Amino acid sequence: MTVVSPPLEERPVRRRRRGFGGGSRDAWPLVLPALLPVMLFSVYPLVYGVLLGFTDARAGLNAETAFNGLDNYVELAGNELFWNSFKIGLIWAFSVTVLQFLASLGLALLLNLDLRLRWLARTLALVPWAMPPVIIAIMWQLMLNPGYGPVNQILPGNVNWLGEASIALPVVIVVGVWAGMPQTTITLLAGLQSVPAELNEAAAIDGASTWRRFWHVTLPALRPVAVAITTLDLIWNFNSFALVFVLTAGGPGGTTMLPSLFAYNEAFRYGNFGYAAAMGNVMVVVIGAFLYFYLRGQMRRRLQ
Amino acid sequence: MRTRISARSGAAIVVALPLALTGCSAFGVGGDDEDGATLTFQSLAFQDSTIAATESIVEAWNEENPDIQVELVQGSWDNVHDQLVTQFQGGTAPDIIHDESADIMGFANQGYLADLSPHLSDEVTASVSDEVWQTVTTADGEVVAAPTLLQSYVVFANTDAFADAGVEIPAGETLTWDDFQALAAELTAGGSYGAGWGMQQPTAAVMNLALGFDGTFFTGESGSMEIEVGENELAVPERIHAMAHQDQSLDPVSLTQSGSDVLPGFFDGKYAMYVAGNYVAQQLVESAPEDFNWAVLPPLAGTAGATQAANPQTMSVAAESEHVEEAAAFIDFFMQAEHQAALAEGDWLIPSSTEARELVAEHTAGENGWEAILASGESLSAAPFQSAVNYPQWKDQYATPALQQYLADEITVEELRQQLVDGWAELG
Amino acid sequence: MTTPATTSAVGRNPFSRPLQYLALLVYMCFLAFPLLFLLSTAFKTPRELRSPDAGILPQSLTWENFTSAIEKADLYTAAGNSLLVAVTTTLIVTLVSLPAAYALVRFRTRLRAVATGWILLSQVFPFILIIIPLFLLMRNIGLVDTLLGLVIVYAVWALPFSLWMLQGYVAAIPVELEEAGAVDGAGRLRTLAKIVLPLLAPGIVATSLFTFINSWNEFFFALVLIQDPDMQTLPLALARFVGAEGQVQLGQLAAAALLACIPSLVFFLLIQKRLTAGLLSGAVKG
Repeated sequence: MTVVSPPLEERPVRRRRRGFGGGSRDAWPLVLPALLPVMLFSVYPLVYGVLLGFTDARAGLNAETAFNGLDNYVELAGNELFWNSFKIGLIWAFSVTVLQFLASLGLALLLNLDLRLRWLARTLALVPWAMPPVIIAIMWQLMLNPGYGPVNQILPGNVNWLGEASIALPVVIVVGVWAGMPQTTITLLAGLQSVPAELNEAAAIDGASTWRRFWHVTLPALRPVAVAITTLDLIWNFNSFALVFVLTAGGPGGTTMLPSLFAYNEAFRYGNFGYAAAMGNVMVVVIGAFLYFYLRGQMRRRLQ
Repeated sequence: MRTRISARSGAAIVVALPLALTGCSAFGVGGDDEDGATLTFQSLAFQDSTIAATESIVEAWNEENPDIQVELVQGSWDNVHDQLVTQFQGGTAPDIIHDESADIMGFANQGYLADLSPHLSDEVTASVSDEVWQTVTTADGEVVAAPTLLQSYVVFANTDAFADAGVEIPAGETLTWDDFQALAAELTAGGSYGAGWGMQQPTAAVMNLALGFDGTFFTGESGSMEIEVGENELAVPERIHAMAHQDQSLDPVSLTQSGSDVLPGFFDGKYAMYVAGNYVAQQLVESAPEDFNWAVLPPLAGTAGATQAANPQTMSVAAESEHVEEAAAFIDFFMQAEHQAALAEGDWLIPSSTEARELVAEHTAGENGWEAILASGESLSAAPFQSAVNYPQWKDQYATPALQQYLADEITVEELRQQLVDGWAELG
Repeated sequence: MTTPATTSAVGRNPFSRPLQYLALLVYMCFLAFPLLFLLSTAFKTPRELRSPDAGILPQSLTWENFTSAIEKADLYTAAGNSLLVAVTTTLIVTLVSLPAAYALVRFRTRLRAVATGWILLSQVFPFILIIIPLFLLMRNIGLVDTLLGLVIVYAVWALPFSLWMLQGYVAAIPVELEEAGAVDGAGRLRTLAKIVLPLLAPGIVATSLFTFINSWNEFFFALVLIQDPDMQTLPLALARFVGAEGQVQLGQLAAAALLACIPSLVFFLLIQKRLTAGLLSGAVKG
């Protein structure tokens, strides 16, 4: 989970290293093998995809494609179904990210304690990660089945978890939290372990309560890692597809139609490739804008 | 190993090089057909018996036609539409395409399906009713598929539950919706429901059964159809709604589930009746508990009789196929009565060809519900929605959510009507 | 790392310890219950599964569900494909990103900024935007419906992540060690092999774990790029199995699902200690 850290902090050590390493010319041959396939298979499709959002590309034998400027976006602006799905996507992404963070933080704090059976707990905490999202979806489908699922056998009442429009989204969110907990937990655990023990001990000697120490010592030290992982979680959740695709396919009554599912249908069910790409562009702009403000806000806070 | 990659692009080689040692064939690259006369046939058959029947037909063909070999690949009903969109777009579509009429008309309009009319034999053409041919004919008169098997919605009955409740199993030509509703109410007692019906995807069932009340939904020419949602169209959902929420004789939870989710409840005796596509009979035979006794009730009839919309399975040829004529010849072979009969028996579906239907009746002697199933096939006819170009999108985005909400008692019938009409207008 | 920071202080409150165990228990129930459910379902007979009063635990162990699931869903082929794709992807990504990560950290180069930007960017874009052009590109070079195509796609999309992780691990190795090696007269390659590589090992393991699991689990690209059943990966096979008859054959479905998790679980168990250590040390120093 180093992933989260390098861009956040420029370590002073690195400056001294430059004498040892080479310059750009030495770096090229080493970086090129990574760069070349990336240019071809990710930058090219990305640029192509963004441009596609400004065309009328659609399925059809020998169908011709032409740029249509902002037509897609004008049409999209009036597409109530899409904005509804967009709203669902935001609710889903924020709820999952926040709940995931809180639940994982609690678990990470516990796993950081010297409890018995910690090894078992740590392994079990990784279980959801070992399962492909498709399996997770199928499994929860079985668990939540109103007829023979164990959830209804254990909990009182006979709830139709995935079939009732008013509760389907919250239920799907819980499954989303379950599925994403390992990554977040491990990252936060790693972050916790980097909090210098001396700080906490010093605070303890000063007579600070557990809660105060958590709030004034642990949490500030954890902030960079927490910001990084919530950012990534938010992006991943907003773009997530497989879990909900299998779990509810957007139903019942469209209440769990995430924007990525919506755009998938537009492209692969109705064949409107240009229009679907336009939806993707809108998603990028919105999530990008949000990240910009969030990260900028966090930077400012740290500088203060 | 053929060097297809290098021929196509040098760029791929850069990436492919590290893999050369692993052997490209392991990655599914190259090693393709050398001679041109191999046709791919993407079949959606999924029950063991039908897969076996399909395989034996293909084998028979391959033996008779050494120059035109047919290779069977397996598709899935679940994602056939998405898959075909991708395949057509990518130019990787199979030569022979198995699907259903409600799904292929859009592809036909996009020019992806070849016109079969010049290639099919008179025998095959004559064996299927005009009504059914209509479901696979475009506005320009092109026949874009051969209709193979038909499905109808039937009511399965747990005969022991009927006996326990002292209810007689209805006989007769048809079962009216009124009688069905009354039966369900009679059979509801002590925590079990008269009926269970997996309606997670309600649109197809509603559209098909609506014909029994003359509910046609659409009028006009295929390009510019207008929607009409009146009493006739709403009769089926309203009755289901009444059974689930007023009579409480139909389990409302089952309405939110898929057909196969509801099946275990039927086995358990939770529902005395179970409404589903007739192909489910195969699953009853295969996986019902040994002491489970069942029957198929007469076809459901509305005010306009037991009519249901025919949505036949179809066999089409990709327009871009290099061997349209050969592929059509295979379809012609596939359509022969004995082959259709074998497939139909495997899937418990109704063959579109009259001769094949007679063969099935002969083979099965009407046992295991076959009599009622074949009877329900007599009154299948074409419905306008099948040729409505935007139907699939309307179904997904408007009709299905609206019907789901209505059946869950979350919106009123008037709101349902409004959503169906507005949705169609939205798609323009 | 062996003496967690908060232990001593928290332990003073006599009530907190039982509460902590209770909280941990709740977490474990939430996280592990689905796995237990899968296990019990996979060993139940169809009769037990249908009977509403059967307990949570199976009455006897039957392997029948496993054997028939493997046979019916053609899981052998699918698992073979998945394994081939995931292992190849992991190898390629690790081999390619290792030198690149090293160069980006140790050498003075503008590429670093470019790489970081692209890493972030690549995470933000929804797959839907990429998949259409990618599909067209793959079609043009004839890689639709091939495992090679999948490997390329997975490798390219795993690279940023892998680079990012590895950069952290490289940076965590004090440059003085390398300088010392160079002073001793060892060649640069020798220094790398003798000093840097062993220190990087946990990081490499953690990184490859990420790549492996992500490729093994991936569904969306495979859904679009793979049509031929002989080429399908495990998630695809399972999703199709459910569609066809899985819902009726619950036991088989659970068995199949369980089988699909085994490689990752085994991977976890094998490197569990090393994994936590690797992830942690990298993150701490990063």
